[in-house]
This record gives sequence, structure tokens and C-alpha cells, in this order.
Amino acid sequence: MNVLEVLHAVGALLVWTAAAMLVPLGFAVGDGLVWPWVASVLITAIAGSVLWFGTPRQISINPREGLAVVALGWIAVVLAGSLPFIFTGVAPTVPAALFESVSGFTTTGATVFPEIEALPSSILLWRSVSHWLGGMGIIVLGVAILPMIGMGGAQLFRAEAPGVPSERLKPRIASTARLLWVVYAFFTVLLMLIYWRLGMSIFDAVNHAMSALATGGFSTRTASLAAYSGAIQWVTILFMFIAGTNFTLHYRFLTGKPSVLVSDTEWRWYFWSIVGVTVAVFVSLGLGGGGWHLDALRRASFTVTAVHTTTGFATADFAAWPSFCQVLLLGLMFVGAMGGSTGGGFKMVRAVVVLKHAVSEIRKTLHPRAVFAAKLGKRPVRNEIVQNVLAFLALYMLTHGLGTLLLAALGNDLITATSAALAAMSSIGPGLGAVGPVSHYGDLGNAAHLILSALMLLGRLEFYTLLVLFIPGAWSKWGGHR
Amino acid sequence: MRVIVVGAGEVGFHVAERLAAEQHDVVVVDVSTERLDYVSSHLDVAVLEGSGVSTAVLEQAGIKQSRLLIAVTNVDEVNLVCCMSARGAMDLVKVARVSNPDFYLEKQHLQPERFGVDVMINPERELALETIRLLQSTAATDIAVFADGAVQFVGLHVTDEAPIANRRLLDIGAEEGHRSLLTVAIDRTGDTIVPSGTTEVLPGDHLYVVVAAGDIGRALTLCGHQPATLQRVMIAGGSDEAFYLARLLQQHGVQTIMLVKDRERAQVLAEKLDSALILQGSPTDVELLEMEGVGGVDGFVALTEVDETNILAGLLAKQAGAHQVITLVNQVQYAPVARRVGIDVAVSPRLSAANAILRYVRRGSVTRVATFKDSDAEAISFQVSASSPLQGKSLAEAKLPEGAIVAAIVRGPQVTVPRGHDVLQVGDTAIVFALPDAVKAVTKLFPS
Repeated sequence: MNVLEVLHAVGALLVWTAAAMLVPLGFAVGDGLVWPWVASVLITAIAGSVLWFGTPRQISINPREGLAVVALGWIAVVLAGSLPFIFTGVAPTVPAALFESVSGFTTTGATVFPEIEALPSSILLWRSVSHWLGGMGIIVLGVAILPMIGMGGAQLFRAEAPGVPSERLKPRIASTARLLWVVYAFFTVLLMLIYWRLGMSIFDAVNHAMSALATGGFSTRTASLAAYSGAIQWVTILFMFIAGTNFTLHYRFLTGKPSVLVSDTEWRWYFWSIVGVTVAVFVSLGLGGGGWHLDALRRASFTVTAVHTTTGFATADFAAWPSFCQVLLLGLMFVGAMGGSTGGGFKMVRAVVVLKHAVSEIRKTLHPRAVFAAKLGKRPVRNEIVQNVLAFLALYMLTHGLGTLLLAALGNDLITATSAALAAMSSIGPGLGAVGPVSHYGDLGNAAHLILSALMLLGRLEFYTLLVLFIPGAWSKWGGHR
Repeated sequence: MRVIVVGAGEVGFHVAERLAAEQHDVVVVDVSTERLDYVSSHLDVAVLEGSGVSTAVLEQAGIKQSRLLIAVTNVDEVNLVCCMSARGAMDLVKVARVSNPDFYLEKQHLQPERFGVDVMINPERELALETIRLLQSTAATDIAVFADGAVQFVGLHVTDEAPIANRRLLDIGAEEGHRSLLTVAIDRTGDTIVPSGTTEVLPGDHLYVVVAAGDIGRALTLCGHQPATLQRVMIAGGSDEAFYLARLLQQHGVQTIMLVKDRERAQVLAEKLDSALILQGSPTDVELLEMEGVGGVDGFVALTEVDETNILAGLLAKQAGAHQVITLVNQVQYAPVARRVGIDVAVSPRLSAANAILRYVRRGSVTRVATFKDSDAEAISFQVSASSPLQGKSLAEAKLPEGAIVAAIVRGPQVTVPRGHDVLQVGDTAIVFALPDAVKAVTKLFPS
């Protein structure tokens, strides 16, 4: 692997991040925090420029280098993103600042701050901006608007938005990335306007719109969406659902093919999964004395959608709900949103593939000589992809187990440890137990913050991309093939 | 008239044979000298060595004087290009054989006119269609449909226990009354006869009856067969024919099991078919057949490329208890043998292809032709035009040639199996059953 070329691209990303920091810098004047912000911008920009100008211009990015660019790029960006939290002094420790930054860019939305209203507005905006950039993918954005990436774009795109390959919208990857970002921006502005019409302040509307479309979860209020009206919550349910849908489908839907949604297998599963679990939770809460009115239905559907899409907004303390509901929510945390959406998790499409494969295997015991092809709708899923998904499942379970183990070793109870690890990997945000929706991650300690930061990055980049950095052969000049 | 047949394979040979028998001037074009030698030694046709894609070769074959070009090589693309490059007279009809299922995907039909192709025929698909009709009417040995399936010609064996055995057609007709059931021909010890009312039906006879679609069950019962429902079918082989059949069965909601020997082909079929169960294994693997319950299937269809495998697989299935066994037989000499040893029906791709093509040989008012395995007789469907001498006449007045009979009249949605007093009107579709000697005379009665 050509390390210098990789660093060149990482430098570009850092300059890019510094530019993004200029947005909250404007608000820093009002907060009286100009110098911490200027320092953050300068350090990031200088580091980026040094890498950019100090290395040869890249010629082409091969798949292995693409993975390294994405993995190192993300690490560099979240490190730079933590600078404002450190310099403004809002974060108690450096690991806490890093946690907050990773939580932002990975669209997790878990926070270390017990009281959000106490934060300066520039920090609030930076949290939302980091969500928004991380949601559709900061590198995908680079592919979309930086012409010099050229040939390597496809590799980068695949490394940052892996999963089950879906069809390209346009023959050129840069055009595809651009279209996805346009759809993403369109929905964000739309939601912003709706929020504003429904009585949110413009500042809150901007923050919540970016957070919702990125399936992030950062709010400007400690109470999250519970601080707003029922109408706003209903709208949020709809837009969380949109954010958790494959954006390729959105593009086709908006350009005059409304039938794509219903004819898409994954979408049908996603839709009915949300509807089904909402009904189950609603009935469970109703039987427990929660009432049968529209408010109760809204609470149930909001929580189910927030968890399923891995957004992590909250209107109710589901950590206090009956165990039946909590187990259902844990299941949703694992499955997560649709592939190609801004959401995280194992992804609905993978769950469907695993399920169909399992059914085939059961049928195989009955017909040992049978030949099956897993299918999504009419589209056959190749065997290599099924195997990739199964390996991904194994990695997911293994990483989750390891994360739970480490958090438990730090003295957390089982429910807290397992839900925190899952909520971090699937980029949900709030978990159960001590990290429930009315609580926060601030008291877990430095070690837990670092562990969870690693889990969030692993989950966001779907393992393979990040793990490639730890394969020794990857760093030799010939990439391990001597 | 002059006809050029490109491709001297199974289909080409059979088509040339039928056309030559009808006194047409046939030129067969192929690149293989060996095949051409075989053709010229068996048929009264001219042969020409060369590629049918070449304009020069086609010109040498006399494309300018030809009225029909039939491209039936094994390669779809060659057939299409052949039709594209053929420059002939204005009224030249170009027929291309196109078998690749990819050209027949829903909504994305190949547009034949873009290639200058007037007619596309697909022997594999025709065969699958014939097979599923046979499966649906269990005991039938032959089946041909007209008017989109509203009228069916069915060949049936009369069993010893049949209610109509040893009775006159007149009496049977009187008893069945309005039921649209008409016996148009009887095949008795190798001879086809067009029966009269006084003809007696004997056990062992092979009847050709015309029925409206809904009355097939009744026809089966009268000939002594159990009408059965089609629920489970096993297909041996992964050929194109097998694929088309599996897809048709899938559309009909029939549970389908496919035995495919080649692993990769099995995988491809599993990807293309939704509900069929694809098993990787040999169709003659007795253990596998038994394990997958071959004895309980309503139909077993052997469609591999090898005749011997088909017959053997069919026999194994029959012995295990499969209700109806249909096998594909390429070599025409095998067909009677297959039937003698216990295979219920032997189907042939050549016959399917010939049926599809013959329709375009006798153009004009002919809309469809069907031929039958055990007999040279044909069922032809004609459009009744204003210039037809039969128009406005009752069947009793109309003098049809000896050996021909109007088997059904289709008027709009209405299908009648006619009697003497029924009248032919302009716009009707008349389905005529005719022995070979009568075909020419009948065709003259229905000018376009």
C-alpha cells in the first residue's frame, strides 16, 4: 500500500473538516468562544495542509488503499472533531470529548453531557453538523464534489458505505454520490421548514433536521423530542422512517417511480417490522396500564421508529418499560435500518438474507440434494454475498460480545453493558439500564468512553474497512502479496 | 412455392420434410456437409452448403423467388441475423427460431420486427406449453388448442371399462345432448378414419375429440379415465424446455420439483425460478427419486437432452407409481417404443416446431395448424371471409371434401361444436379437422 498517497487523501479530508468547522465558528462569537474555535480550525487546517502538500499527488487509489483512506480518514476526522469539545472546556476529559465527537460523526447520538441546555450554541451546532456530515458519509461527500478523486471514488464509496451492493443510480460513482447527497439535503431542508412551521425556533429546527435525517440523535434539549409538541413528534417519526430507508429508493420514488418502495423486498420487511413491533409495544404498554389513546400510540411508534432507524431520539423512558418491550427494542437495535440509508445496525437487508439462508438450510435437511438461491424479490443474491453476510454476522456478534465483556469488566451491570455495546455498534445512542434515554454516558469513565468510541467506529464502517488496518500484511508495499 | 430452410438440425429437417411432402420446393442451407448429406439422402429437397447469414448464399439459394425463409439453426443470433440480411421479394415471410429464455422475459420481449423477422417461433416453449396441457388433462396423449384454449383437440385412448366402449357415436351423442363433445377421428390399428354416426367405438381405439375447455373432465370419464387434479409435478433435466415448463407450472401454482444433474445449471435455475424446488442429481438415481417421493407425483416429465435417459427415468418413475409420465423423445423412431414400454406420452420438439411453422406455410385465412403424433391428420383453423363459398350455408348444405369435418365454430366468445344445421357466418373461425388428402381441397374453400 502506498502510505503517502493515503495520507494525501486524509489531508484533503482534514482540510474539508476544518471548512465545516467554520459554520459553528460564526456562532462562537455570540458564545464568547472565538479563540477555542479558531484554534480548532487552525490545527485541523494546518495538519490537513501539511499532509496534503507534503505528499505526492495521488495517481489512483486501488481497493486496499481505498479502505485505508476511509479508515484513517475517519480516525483523523473524529480526532479533529473532538478539538472544539476540548478547547472550549465543555468536555470533562479528553476521552469524553473523543466519545462525543465519534458519537456525532457515526450518527450514534450518545452524549456525555448530563444537561444539554447548558452547552454553548456553537457546540450544539457542531454536534448536529458532525451528524449530518457523517450520516451520508463524509467521504461520499468528498467523492461527490471533489473532482480530483476521480477513479478511486468507487473504491472509497464502497469502503465507506459497504453492505450488500445495490444498483448504481448513475454510471459514474461521483454522479451517484451527488444525487444521494442532493436527496439527503432536500429532505433535511424540507424537515427544517416543517419544524419551523410547527413552532420550533430556527436554530432548533436546523439542528433537529440535520440530526433526524442523519439518524443521529443529538438534540438541543436534555429531554430530546419530548420537549416538543405531538405534531412535531409525528413529523419526526415520518422523517426518521425516511432517513432509515435506502436513499437510492428515495431518488427513484421522487423521480416518478412511486412503486419502487412497495416492490422492494427490504423495504417491505422494514415497513412491516416497524408496524409490527409498534403494535406489539403499544399493546404491551396498554395492558400494563399505559392507556389506549393516541398519545400512547405515538409514544410507542416514536420509540420503535427511533430505535429501528438507529436515530435514538426519545420521547419516553423505554428503559423503564416492561421487559417484553425492552427485549423487542434490543432486537431492533441489532437489526437496524435499511442498507443504503443513513442508519446503522446489522441492516435489514442482511437480516433478510440470513433469514432466507436459514430457511434454505432447514429445507435442505429435508431435501439434502436441493439447490437454493437466496433472493431479494426477483434479484438473486450471489453465494459470495451470502457468505460475506454470514461472516459479518459472526463479526457483529463477536465484537458485541467482546464489547459487553470489556464494559462489564469495568463494573457495569449486564443490561447496561450489553445495551451500551449494542447501542454504540448500531449507532443508536441511548441504551437500557444506566445508559437509558433519560440518562447519559458521562459517568462511565475514560476506559468505557474509549471502548465505546472504538465500537461506534467499527459499527459505522462495518468492520472490514477498519479491521484492514490491523492486518499486518496490509502495510507492506505489496499489500501482503510477496 | 419456394421455401428456404436455414439449419439442417432436428427442427430444420422435420420442417423440410413436412414442406416437401406438401409439394413445396425446399432448399436447405447449412454449414455442415454431413448434415446436408443426411438431408438430401432422406428428403426430396435441394441442399446448399454455406452460412445462412451470408447474403450471397441466400441469393444462390433463390431468396428472390422464395415466399418463405425459415431460420431454425441452434443459434438464436444466427437466425436473427439471417432474417436481417435476407433481401427477397416483397411478400417474403421470414421465420426465426428464437429459444433463449432471456428473449422472452416479461415486459421485455424481443421485438422481432426490428430484425425484419415476421414470425418468431420457440420450439422449446411450444413443447412446454404442449406438456402442461397434457399434464392438465392427464390421460390425453395429444392436445392442441384453438381460440386461446376455448377449443381443444384431445387424443384419448378408450379403455376396456370406458362407458362409451362398444357403442355407436350416434347413441353417445344423443345421450350427451348439448355437451360440446365431438369425435372427429378414430385411430384404429394404425388407420385414421373420419367416423360417421353409426361407427362403433371399440376398446383400444384412439379417439380424437373436440371439446370446449370446460368439458375435458367429462371426455376423460367417457373414455374410462380418472380426471385428476394437478398438484405435484417432477421434472427431470435442466434444459430450456424444462425451464419453460417449470415457469408455467409455477404460474399455475403447481408444486414443482426439478432434478438437474449439472450443479451450475441447477444454481442458475434456482435463481431464475421462484417456487420450484431444484435438486442436484441424476434423474436416473433411484434412491434420490424415491427419497423425493416420485411415487406421489401427478406428473413426471423427463426433458433431458438424452432420449435414453428420458425413457429410463420415465420408466423408473412409472414403476415407483407416478401418475402420468411424459418424456421428451428427439429420435422419432423411439416414440412408439417408449409408448409400448409404458411411457404415457412421448413429446417431440420437432412436432412442436412444425406446428408453429406450418401455420405460416398456408397463409391466407389460416390462423393455426396442429398436427398429431399417431396420425397424419391436421387440425386447421380458418377465418371465414366474405368470398368463401361456404359463407351463409349450413354445414349440411356445404359440401366439405371427403375426410374433412368442421370440428368447431368460434363466434366471438361463443364456441359451438356444430351439427348439420349450424351456419357459417363471415368473421367466424372454423376449426377443420382434415386427413392429408383433403387438406388442399379444404384450404380452397376458405380464401382470404
